Amino acid sequence: MNAIELRDVRKTFGAHVAVDGVSLTVPRGAVYGVIGPSGAGKTTCIRMIMSILFPDSGTLSVLGRASALEAKDRIGYLPEERGVYRKMRVGAFLTYLAQLKGVSRETADARVPDLLERVGLRGTERTPCDELSKGMLQRVQFVGAVLHEPELLILDEPFSGLDPVSVRLLREQVQRAHARGATILLSTHIMAYAEEMCDHVFMIHEGRKVLDQPMAGLRRQFDPRRILFEPLRAEAEVAGIAAMPDVSRLEAEPGGGYTITLVEGAEPSLAVARIAAVVPPARIEIARLRLEDVFIRIVAGGGGLDEAAAALRSRLQAGTAQEARA
Amino acid sequence: MSPRKITLVAGREFMAAVTNKGFVIGLLIMPVMFAVLFAALPRLMTASARDRVRGEVAIIDPTGRVAPALRDAISPSAIEARRTRTLNRALDAVAGNADGGEALRNGQPDPTRLTGPAPELHLVERSAGADLAEEKRWLTAPPAGDLRPLALVVVKPNAVVRAPGQKAYGSYDLFVPPNTGERIENEVRDALRDGIVTARLAARQLDVAEVEAMTAVPRLPSITVGPVERQTSVGFNRFVPFVFAGLLVFGVMIGAQTLMTSTVEEKSSRVIEVLLSAVSPLELMAGKVLGQMAVSLLVLAIYVGIGVLMLTSFAMIGLLDPWLILYLVIFFLITYFFYASAFGAIGAAVNEMREAQALVTPVMLVLMVPWLLAAPVAREPNSTFAIALSFIPPVNTLAMMIRMASSSPPPWWQVWITIGIGLAAACFATWMAAKIFRVGLLMYGKPPNFATLLRWARQA
Repeated sequence: MNAIELRDVRKTFGAHVAVDGVSLTVPRGAVYGVIGPSGAGKTTCIRMIMSILFPDSGTLSVLGRASALEAKDRIGYLPEERGVYRKMRVGAFLTYLAQLKGVSRETADARVPDLLERVGLRGTERTPCDELSKGMLQRVQFVGAVLHEPELLILDEPFSGLDPVSVRLLREQVQRAHARGATILLSTHIMAYAEEMCDHVFMIHEGRKVLDQPMAGLRRQFDPRRILFEPLRAEAEVAGIAAMPDVSRLEAEPGGGYTITLVEGAEPSLAVARIAAVVPPARIEIARLRLEDVFIRIVAGGGGLDEAAAALRSRLQAGTAQEARA
Repeated sequence: MSPRKITLVAGREFMAAVTNKGFVIGLLIMPVMFAVLFAALPRLMTASARDRVRGEVAIIDPTGRVAPALRDAISPSAIEARRTRTLNRALDAVAGNADGGEALRNGQPDPTRLTGPAPELHLVERSAGADLAEEKRWLTAPPAGDLRPLALVVVKPNAVVRAPGQKAYGSYDLFVPPNTGERIENEVRDALRDGIVTARLAARQLDVAEVEAMTAVPRLPSITVGPVERQTSVGFNRFVPFVFAGLLVFGVMIGAQTLMTSTVEEKSSRVIEVLLSAVSPLELMAGKVLGQMAVSLLVLAIYVGIGVLMLTSFAMIGLLDPWLILYLVIFFLITYFFYASAFGAIGAAVNEMREAQALVTPVMLVLMVPWLLAAPVAREPNSTFAIALSFIPPVNTLAMMIRMASSSPPPWWQVWITIGIGLAAACFATWMAAKIFRVGLLMYGKPPNFATLLRWARQA
């Protein structure tokens, strides 16, 4: 049985179509990434899954029920709009949330200190929420989402605004929940997180689904066929590389080094060995698949550096930079 | 709807409200201070007069007739009799009639509880030709024995018998040492008044008891004629309708306003979305409404309790009809649900408190209007105007509360019609509010107006 199923779901706000005929199937036990730039419709999708918003048309089921309302206690949810009762103490707030999810007070009280410690907030149970920093509160809310050990964990932009250490702590907890058997659906506009965490990605752009594939398949399909290369000596002659039969293009990077694009059908591991034999490398690596590139190739079509693609890339990067500042 | 979740929400709401510092200071400490003050005041007054005052009162009496009469009037038993009489008159005035005063007296067996023991005053007669300057020195000199000088009375020669051709009788001069208590001075004056009147009556061979009987006209309660004849209440009872109307409005305002504030806070702090992943909007609203209701009931209980304590302390508890408190609770609940719905819906609709003001003002006006009409309704509780008001929600409960607490309460069927209409209106308001609540909770952006709220209610 699937954890989440959306069939042709559509949602409009006035004249604005937020989600346009989206279908999505999340099998149990999967780690699903919903990705797309800010304003793509990720949060609207998640809110419909949570029955906080209701679709104008289309059907959905969550954990085998027609509505998340009937399975609320089995779902953990970290909304994009995060908030706490500012006057409440952290422990009391978390216990209250867990109780609302059907956990007994005793169980909740027992789990809170351990979970707080795991997200790096040991001993904050008695601290009023308004004395914590924004990043700390975000971790508190994450604890609120997993405290009742849900079967389905829905995280809307869980890492936005967090420092790298906190991101790592939360990722460990997501993996822990996954190991326990929970299905995970997480949305993010920072595609690097999805690359690292998800076994399946679901891409959404302007309310429409543009991609819905396992990461393994994506890696095969969108193999970048590129090698990043930095010669040991900066003044080394690289013309030999460009002349190799495997290589279709050689571009100098602004920061030093080169990007080598291989011809179709070339085997990257063999190419690496041959290139290294021609010019001794300081660094040579096969370029990782970047969801950002995949996204731009799909949306802009083709994959050239035309204006649409450039605009999209800058939008994605602006979003990331904004996050980094926050 | 899960009762467990509603209870959890209500519990949090209640605790958050009653542990708020402002709430504790504003609502609990103030009335508690008042209560302590009112409960302690009569006892403090008594305590200051607890020690029996003993001393001498000197009199220079050229008439020779006042001193013997004063000797009787200044005895402790005469003083006590006079105090009882004064207290009874005061209680009659408060209750509005002699019967009410009688009821009050039942809880007040001993006037000395309020006033302390009567002073022990010894009358010392000086000769008519005594030297005034020397007597004044006596007042200020240290006392020779254990009786200290308390007052010097110089009776005017014409105090008992008028000089020929004069209309008014003469009086007396009273000299007291520094730091004489006002109470002692008043006791001496009261005794002197009785003594001089007795002397005057005796001088004209009139019987004191006879004259007292002739001048006394007991004030009996008037009777309101109607299907059921009732005694018209005056005095203290005149305030009862306003007290109850005030309690009703006050209780509703506390609960409904806090409900709105806490809803706005949940929305503006964005905690609402986490909550909605655990409870439905209806469960949330029900829990919040019930939680604040408990807060309001607590406040009402405190205030009513203080009122009862005060009345008991002043031995006036007999004036309060306990049924009125029951109806206060019923009317409070109906009115509370109506206004809590309105305020809850507003709280759910707006983004922050500032935006709420525009929507709250008209609702507040509706809540205050009957309060302004309280005086005419209380004066003529069975006028067409008053009857009509008591059938129009949402002012009906307040109008009916005032009428019921008035001197001529309405017939029972009217009370039940008011309750019926009120319940229907409260249910309708709750139903509307639930719809606005559901739509409004996740709406951010342009502050809504009443038209928007209505559209949401139709949409949902």
